[in-house]
Amino acid sequence: MTPDPIPVRSVSTLECRNCGAGAPIDEHFCRSCSRILALGRHGDYFSFLGVPRRLNLDMQELERHFRELSRKFHPDYYYNASPTERLASLERSSYLNDAYRTLRNPAARIEHLLAIEGLPPARSDESTGPGQGAAKVPPSLLEEVFALNEELDEVRELRESGADPSALRARLDAARVPIDARRDDHERQLRELSGQWDALPADAAPAAKRAILDALRERLLERNYINNLLATIEREMAGSGLSPLGSGPLGHAPEA
Amino acid sequence: MSKVVGIDLGTTNSLVAYVQNGAPVVIRDGSGDGLVPSVVSIGDDGTIFVGREAQRRLLTTSSRTVYSVKRFMGRGIDDVRDEASLLPFRVGGEAGGVVRIGVADREFTPPEISAFVLRELKHRAEEHFREQGEFDFEVDRAVITVPAYFNDAQRTATRDAGRLAGLEVLRIINEPTAASLAYGLDQKNRGTIAVYDLGGGTFDISILKVEDGVFQVLSTNGDTHLGGDDFDQLLMRLVLRELELAGSGGASAEMVQAIRKAVIQAKWDLSDQDDTDIVVEPSAVLPQGYRRRITRDEFEALIRPLIDRTLAPVRQALADAALLPKDIDEVVLVGGSTRIPLVRRMVEELFGRTPHSDLNPDEVVALGAAVQADILISGRREMLLLDVTPLSLGIETMGGVVSKIILRNSTIPASGREMFTSGVDSQTAVDIHVLQGERELAADCRSLARFRLRGIPPMPAGLPRIEVRFQIDANGILAVSATELRTGIEQAIEVKPSYGLTDEEVERMLIESFEHAEADFDARLLIEARNEAESVVHATEKSLRRPDLHRVAEEELQPGELQRIDEALADLKAAIAAPIAH
Repeated sequence: MTPDPIPVRSVSTLECRNCGAGAPIDEHFCRSCSRILALGRHGDYFSFLGVPRRLNLDMQELERHFRELSRKFHPDYYYNASPTERLASLERSSYLNDAYRTLRNPAARIEHLLAIEGLPPARSDESTGPGQGAAKVPPSLLEEVFALNEELDEVRELRESGADPSALRARLDAARVPIDARRDDHERQLRELSGQWDALPADAAPAAKRAILDALRERLLERNYINNLLATIEREMAGSGLSPLGSGPLGHAPEA
Repeated sequence: MSKVVGIDLGTTNSLVAYVQNGAPVVIRDGSGDGLVPSVVSIGDDGTIFVGREAQRRLLTTSSRTVYSVKRFMGRGIDDVRDEASLLPFRVGGEAGGVVRIGVADREFTPPEISAFVLRELKHRAEEHFREQGEFDFEVDRAVITVPAYFNDAQRTATRDAGRLAGLEVLRIINEPTAASLAYGLDQKNRGTIAVYDLGGGTFDISILKVEDGVFQVLSTNGDTHLGGDDFDQLLMRLVLRELELAGSGGASAEMVQAIRKAVIQAKWDLSDQDDTDIVVEPSAVLPQGYRRRITRDEFEALIRPLIDRTLAPVRQALADAALLPKDIDEVVLVGGSTRIPLVRRMVEELFGRTPHSDLNPDEVVALGAAVQADILISGRREMLLLDVTPLSLGIETMGGVVSKIILRNSTIPASGREMFTSGVDSQTAVDIHVLQGERELAADCRSLARFRLRGIPPMPAGLPRIEVRFQIDANGILAVSATELRTGIEQAIEVKPSYGLTDEEVERMLIESFEHAEADFDARLLIEARNEAESVVHATEKSLRRPDLHRVAEEELQPGELQRIDEALADLKAAIAAPIAH
């Protein structure tokens, strides 16, 4: 999961705990004594994995970097090392695994880009905790959500009055169609925006970058909402009758 | 330099292996047997018997003998109450605590019983190294394997067992992954592998991608309560029903064990033959004896529902790896139960390809564990295992809902964090309940531990920002730490494992374990002789059961030789059955 929000580069250099030499934050090993470096408050999975900050990544290259770094960091190879190095190996491996899992997944990759570019997380409304769906209906989806909720209510009533399950299934299938179409549309828009981001020149104006990032965030929020709707339908299909709309974990500190 | 080994601590059998001149080998006894039955028996004088001798005692002194203890590792009494009915030993313990195994007037936890098995393996390995003329033959470090689908409590219980046996557990690794490592040794190729591991008590499926010597697990799934034991139980119930003893409590523990032995033999036979007899020889425990014809079709119809249960985890693992059955390049079979033809057929149908079974499915896991032990000690880097955590890890939030912090199939080591705050003003402690599982409600997930965070500086409610960090290490075992971010104060954490032992309990058991007597040297020699005799009996009986025995006897044996074989066999069996004098 993407930790959010991520403190980006709160420090620019690390200090090797073995020899005390300074090391740039993107280094994994001390240039002076070649020992593995403790993990600082790193924030950028792209630079950690040594790949460009792009949304269309060469997956084979990403995988190769992951394997190469795994071979450098893995605790297997630090069994006889000092406790400091063993801890560094454990933390660096864990971080590498998080980074790879995040960048491998297109949606998580966009979320991570938004986070390191300083945008608020696209996954949740401010009032809910991490990892859960948005509580507020995006305005552009109001119509579909309204129609779906009505349909789900009717299906539940019919179910309780003992209606034929196959008829209910057909209605739920039909209810999916407009939402599936919206999702396909969003996937297409996300791909287009990703292409635009990757095509930005290195010296692009901050406003141009921000416009694309804002649009990405907007689409992603809607997309996550759509996925929640689809999950609701699937749950209804499974007959659990649970409605997760608007629910989220309680009792956590609001993310600052 | 003391020795390191790899250990497969199985439900039915355990093995120890090590790397010799770059290649892993299983350490065998005098009769060439690598398997140590995971059976522990306690003599009247407190002597601990492990392995084949304990297995023999199962037939004569059932109530002092424990088997299949792996099924109870890291579990609570509520999890296992149902299956305890046919077992000769007492299974008890407090509700919500670890299982206690009662033998005669003593109680053991499952890690203590497993530790006896591990000590036997350690002993076997040390004998081997001593015979090899090694100056320092002590074995003090080991890699131990566990089912991939073992949860945190079950892994921790296994590590505790290692400590109790006087072993530093270098690493806990997953059985299917260990098997893939053993297979990967001579096949330097790349591809996507499915390992289907059906053992005595557990089922695992792991999907791996192998490239450049990196064995990366993409997904894993399974059932920690499904295996050969369950097939045996079905057959045992069939026999008990026919003897009209099912549920009536009329069967003595010894009779149940005699039946168990007979059905296991029949099960084995049916892997090579279309039919066989379940034979319980007449004896004190069952004077009339029992004999029944059983066909392979009949057996398959009986166990098919259980094998069907392995398919859902396989499909889930494929879905989690985002793969279709046709994307799998190789299928590897591990575990004794994969010798059953029906299992092979169903796996073959599912993946549309013939599964691999070039290596002995009983030994391949121990070989892989030995390779991993060698990697850790030697630092050789040509191979690397990247495994995953099988189950999601989360904490209970208000309303009993689980908030997931590390998702299943995350590559390990893995870390995650979660923010907490206080609910009332000046609150200085917060309770946290850690759970493992995929369900949404805490009540449906496995409780791992309860933590209390103390030492939170008094602040208005909602102001403290406590970051709780979860770290799963390369063993798949969780550690938790916490910091209050506004003050930077590291929080004290008290751990109360839900189904595990506290460090103090392990320490105490460690001391107690020195007091357990083990069989002395003379007794050991006798046990080894009996083991060897049993191997001979087993091989002879197998030959005598050949369908073409009469033709072979006519063509290749002297007149009367068959009868002499029968007589010698009976004498040897009588000698084996004689009790060890103490």
